Amino acid sequence: MRYLILFITGLSLLLVTSCIIQFIPEIEEDKALLVVEGLITDQYRTNTIKVSTSLPLGKILVPKPVKGCKVSITDKHGMKYDLKESSPGTYITDSTKFHGQVNDIYTLTIQTNNRTFVSNPMEMKPVPLIDSVYYEKTIIDESNEFGIPLEGCQIYIDSHDPLKECLYFRWNFTETWEFHLPFSVPNRVCWKTNNSDKIFIKNTSLYNQARVTKFPIKFISNETDRLKVKYSILVTQYSLNKDEYTYWEKVKNVSENVGGLYDVTPMSIPSNIHCFEDPDEPVLGYFSVSALTQNRIFIQDKFLGSPNFYSQCVPGDTVFGLKPIPGLNVSVWIIEDHTFAPPIYRITTPYRRCADCTAEGFIRKPPFWID
Amino acid sequence: MKIKILILALLFLGNSFAKSQEKYLITWDYKGLGFNEFVARSESLYPVRFFYNDEWIKDLKLGEYEGNLSLTDILDSLFRGTTLFYYIDDSQNIVLTRNFAVKIADAVGEEKQNYIPGNDYKGPVEENPSADNLVADIGNPADKNKSGNVIISGYITNKDTREAVAGATVYVPKLSVGTISNEYGFYTLTIPRGSHTARVSFIGMKERVIDINLFGSGELNIEMKSTLVPLKETIVSADKNITLQRFEVGVEKINIVSFRLMPTSMGESDIIKSILLIPGVQSVGEGSAGFNVRGGSADQNLILLYGAPVYNSSHFFGFFSAVNSDIIKDATLYKGGIPGRYGGRISSVLDIVPREGNRREFAGNAGISPITTHVVIEGPVKKDTCFYLLAGRTTYSNWILGLIENPALRNSRAAFYDINARVAYDINKKNKIDLSAYYSHDSFRFNSDTVYKYRNNIVALRWRHFFSSRFFSGLTFNNSNYNYDISSMKVPQEAFVLSHKINSTGLKADINWYPGSRNEINFGFDLTRYEVLPGSFEAAGDSSIVHPDIITRQRALESAFYIEDRYIVTDHVSVNAGIRLSSFFAFGPQTFFLYNDAFTRNISSVTDTISFGRSENYRTYAGPEFRLSVNYRLNDNSSFKLNYNRTRQYLHLLSNTTSISPSDTWKLSDYYLKPQIGDQFAAGYYRMLSKKKIEASVEIYYKVIGNMVDFKGGTNLIMNKYIERDLIDVEGKAYGMELLLKKQEGRIRWSVGYTYSRILIRSTSSLSEEKINAGNWFPANFDKPHDLILTFNYLYSRRFSLSANYTYSSGRPVTYPVAAYKIGDIVLTHFSDRNKYRIPYYSRLDLSITISGNLKSKKIAHPHWIFSIYNILGRQNIYSVYFKYEKNMVKGYMLSVFGRPIPSVSFNFDF
Repeated sequence: MRYLILFITGLSLLLVTSCIIQFIPEIEEDKALLVVEGLITDQYRTNTIKVSTSLPLGKILVPKPVKGCKVSITDKHGMKYDLKESSPGTYITDSTKFHGQVNDIYTLTIQTNNRTFVSNPMEMKPVPLIDSVYYEKTIIDESNEFGIPLEGCQIYIDSHDPLKECLYFRWNFTETWEFHLPFSVPNRVCWKTNNSDKIFIKNTSLYNQARVTKFPIKFISNETDRLKVKYSILVTQYSLNKDEYTYWEKVKNVSENVGGLYDVTPMSIPSNIHCFEDPDEPVLGYFSVSALTQNRIFIQDKFLGSPNFYSQCVPGDTVFGLKPIPGLNVSVWIIEDHTFAPPIYRITTPYRRCADCTAEGFIRKPPFWID
Repeated sequence: MKIKILILALLFLGNSFAKSQEKYLITWDYKGLGFNEFVARSESLYPVRFFYNDEWIKDLKLGEYEGNLSLTDILDSLFRGTTLFYYIDDSQNIVLTRNFAVKIADAVGEEKQNYIPGNDYKGPVEENPSADNLVADIGNPADKNKSGNVIISGYITNKDTREAVAGATVYVPKLSVGTISNEYGFYTLTIPRGSHTARVSFIGMKERVIDINLFGSGELNIEMKSTLVPLKETIVSADKNITLQRFEVGVEKINIVSFRLMPTSMGESDIIKSILLIPGVQSVGEGSAGFNVRGGSADQNLILLYGAPVYNSSHFFGFFSAVNSDIIKDATLYKGGIPGRYGGRISSVLDIVPREGNRREFAGNAGISPITTHVVIEGPVKKDTCFYLLAGRTTYSNWILGLIENPALRNSRAAFYDINARVAYDINKKNKIDLSAYYSHDSFRFNSDTVYKYRNNIVALRWRHFFSSRFFSGLTFNNSNYNYDISSMKVPQEAFVLSHKINSTGLKADINWYPGSRNEINFGFDLTRYEVLPGSFEAAGDSSIVHPDIITRQRALESAFYIEDRYIVTDHVSVNAGIRLSSFFAFGPQTFFLYNDAFTRNISSVTDTISFGRSENYRTYAGPEFRLSVNYRLNDNSSFKLNYNRTRQYLHLLSNTTSISPSDTWKLSDYYLKPQIGDQFAAGYYRMLSKKKIEASVEIYYKVIGNMVDFKGGTNLIMNKYIERDLIDVEGKAYGMELLLKKQEGRIRWSVGYTYSRILIRSTSSLSEEKINAGNWFPANFDKPHDLILTFNYLYSRRFSLSANYTYSSGRPVTYPVAAYKIGDIVLTHFSDRNKYRIPYYSRLDLSITISGNLKSKKIAHPHWIFSIYNILGRQNIYSVYFKYEKNMVKGYMLSVFGRPIPSVSFNFDF
């Protein structure tokens, strides 16, 4: 529930005198547990079950796949669908043979070389369409140091299920934005894509209607370049059954509502997947069964107070004449090239991101992009 | 009844007692006159005035007229053979006393004025301000040659305010015998006839030394004077003899004057913060609400104000106590050795004794600090019989928030206030009543529309009846209410109000009986009716689609009967044995699911439902609680004590956060939630060192706690209708050793307290879902094995004093993640065994300086300034540790709340 977040915000009051220190915990244990990331949807496309092992902390997270498992899904009629290992640790359904049906119940079975893991039977709930995804300008600060108001962008979701079949919702999103380098360089226009990494869930069983109003899915502050040119967000809405909602709610409580005065005692949240041979062995991850709908919007608007993200590019070196610039393309980049008419000079920068937008994005326009 | 008010103080301004009364020859016939008539006539003829109680003389008639006798001769013959005595001062006031005589001093000099307070007449009495000594004759001098023990008893009162002084020590050093006054200020002492010197002492009061010539049993009432400016005390102190005299192990008395000086974080003296300086008392961290006593969780402490429980003891996220220190007379913390009259919580009792108010004159105090301001006024409505005390405190932190650069904070609000009011009325000598009320209110919101409010509300009516000087009773009727609501209007369609409420109504009778010289028997009952609204979630506003949801109210009755006897077995051994029979009855309407025991409780293990009708008693829990203390006095300087007590608790605070959060809810024991039971065994050794200047003690304890609860991971406890599905049954064991060395007199005072303690918890279920750390013992959140507390006070002069305290403790345990994994782009962590790691140690030094304006007693207001610096070392003590996923890595963060020195200044003045 949202009011819990209040305590986290409460933290900010304390920040006046409090401080936060980053540290690297010294942990003796090094457990590698089985991780299952599985999602069955009602879409006519491949469903993916990923099997890997958990990773120690303090290292870059690159999952270690578990190869050679036998993975299958059984529906409520006992029909069994085997999955195929498409790449190490990634098991996919055949989209021609299998797609999830609303109100069906699915069970996941994974056989590794010595053990069997079985999920609880999970019911697929229907999901309504997203009513709308929209945004509002919000004032971050009434005036910055130059007296200009700072505006951010808050993106909301409205949704409702008139049949009240879907009471629990989950969302995630993929955001894509176009950005331009303010210099005349060859790779000037790029797109960047980012996936949500937070848990967005809503319980509408508390309401008379299965209705979600103004659910804040994304806040864009003025500290990013997302709003400079054009921004797009694709929101995916999933139906959850109550078990899965409870799982996400608990996970959110222990993983996101932290850093305040009232942190919930950290504990691992049991998965819906269990080891058949040893029920006490923890299994990580979840076998999700959801119907989904999607909605994409574009935002092209003027937001006040957006700072210049390339100001540190400019105090680069100005090189006159046509002589070759030593180290070009290795550690020095040209951001302005005045070689057509005198005075001939070029401005260089030590930052690749100032001279080449592919340093951070993709130059290829995404297929869904509308100019 | 004719009672003349007499300012006896005047009597003692001179030291020569005129003998002129002898000149007043009675030349008229007084035969057969009643004493009153005789007095009336005498007063009309001679410049004398009589002071006495009508009751004493109602049967007194004057005898035959035998010629011209002096007034004194007549009085001598009249009172011969009665218990009445008289004395005459040089202003020709003739004061009658009963049961004891005023002994006229041998002219020792002006320093040694003599005076014996009367026991029955009501005039305010006073010793000579320049002398502490007085001489008292008690009993009939004719019994001088008898032998054997006799009993003296009486009341100890504060001379300035006439409030009873509870917990004062009356001690006869020569005999090594002493006692402590009870909550009514009454004491009783059994000593042999003869001449003795008794010392009467209490923190913040001038010690009195009384020479007693004891002929027989009698009463001796004693008035004590406050030290002029309350700047002389150190932090937490018990009277030096109390420790030896007390029966129980682990009882600490805290006097208000002591924590007035304590360095504070925001310029407020604070009862809970001063409790944290007692060995064996800890908190989870800075600014956390509540405290942990000997390994108990925060909800296992009973905090009593006006005899009623306080359900939320903090303001402002725990940075302030909910109880205004202005109204506190003293407070006693029972870490162990909980007397039979207290029950309902298993770890400790903090009994806050409020001030009664000044009986003699209007007085007040006001103070201001950067965060709060507080005012207290008090005085008589009718002098000496009816008096009041009003106190209020409020914060104005909002303006500070408004100054902060951060717009999120600028839009936040946090405010609180509290009000205490009390009226006391002495109906007559035997009956006293008082009515008290307390209201506290907190409200805050953080840059959002979610507003959080909570309130404590207590009303208590107490009637004290004195059957006789050895038989007291107190009857208290109280109601305590705590509720919170959280509301948000941000999205009109989802606007809600979420509330929780607990209401208890209690009737409590306590009877103190002092039969004979060796026994003190206390007995009584305690009935409490509870009503708890676990939660309600309702729509706010017309456009809200929130579906109203109210969890069925819990209703229950808790009752207890107790009796205990403090018995002096021999000169060396005394025993306090008691039993408290407590029981708990839970009433319907209520519906529960039944579950298959072979599985963990959840929706799929439900087998049936069971419903109980209105007022149906669906669960009863009952059991005896034994309380036993033995005090063995090894010699004049040392004693050894043993203690066992069992306590039962039927009310639980559901919390799965590290420290109490403002959204935690209270829950009564019910069909599934069993009462918590605590058993504590403790032993202590106490010794006075260095001519009784230094007090040393060692206490050890072992405690077993049954039926504690924990919760499955990440459980949402708010609006949770089926708590039983998320419960994990756990049990606890705690043990520790507390060492304390303190010097509480002189200009330099200090104390050193060191505690080694552990609190371990184990889950008891055999189901894997309900196991924590595979069912092995693990340290509780507040397990801090090493704890060192140093306090220091330097009283440079009456106008200037300095105090410092230092705290060191081991870091509390925390749980670290041990592995990370991804679901989509969400990174999650898997946690290690619970509380396997620890945060770094805690260390903090605070300093404060108090400067008093001036000490002229005639001045209208007495100002004093307190400058303090909290955490002067600026150490970034870690409050909590958390982990977040950033840039493809899980990173650890440590949060410290007060990471730098915090100076504050507060200004107070008495008027």
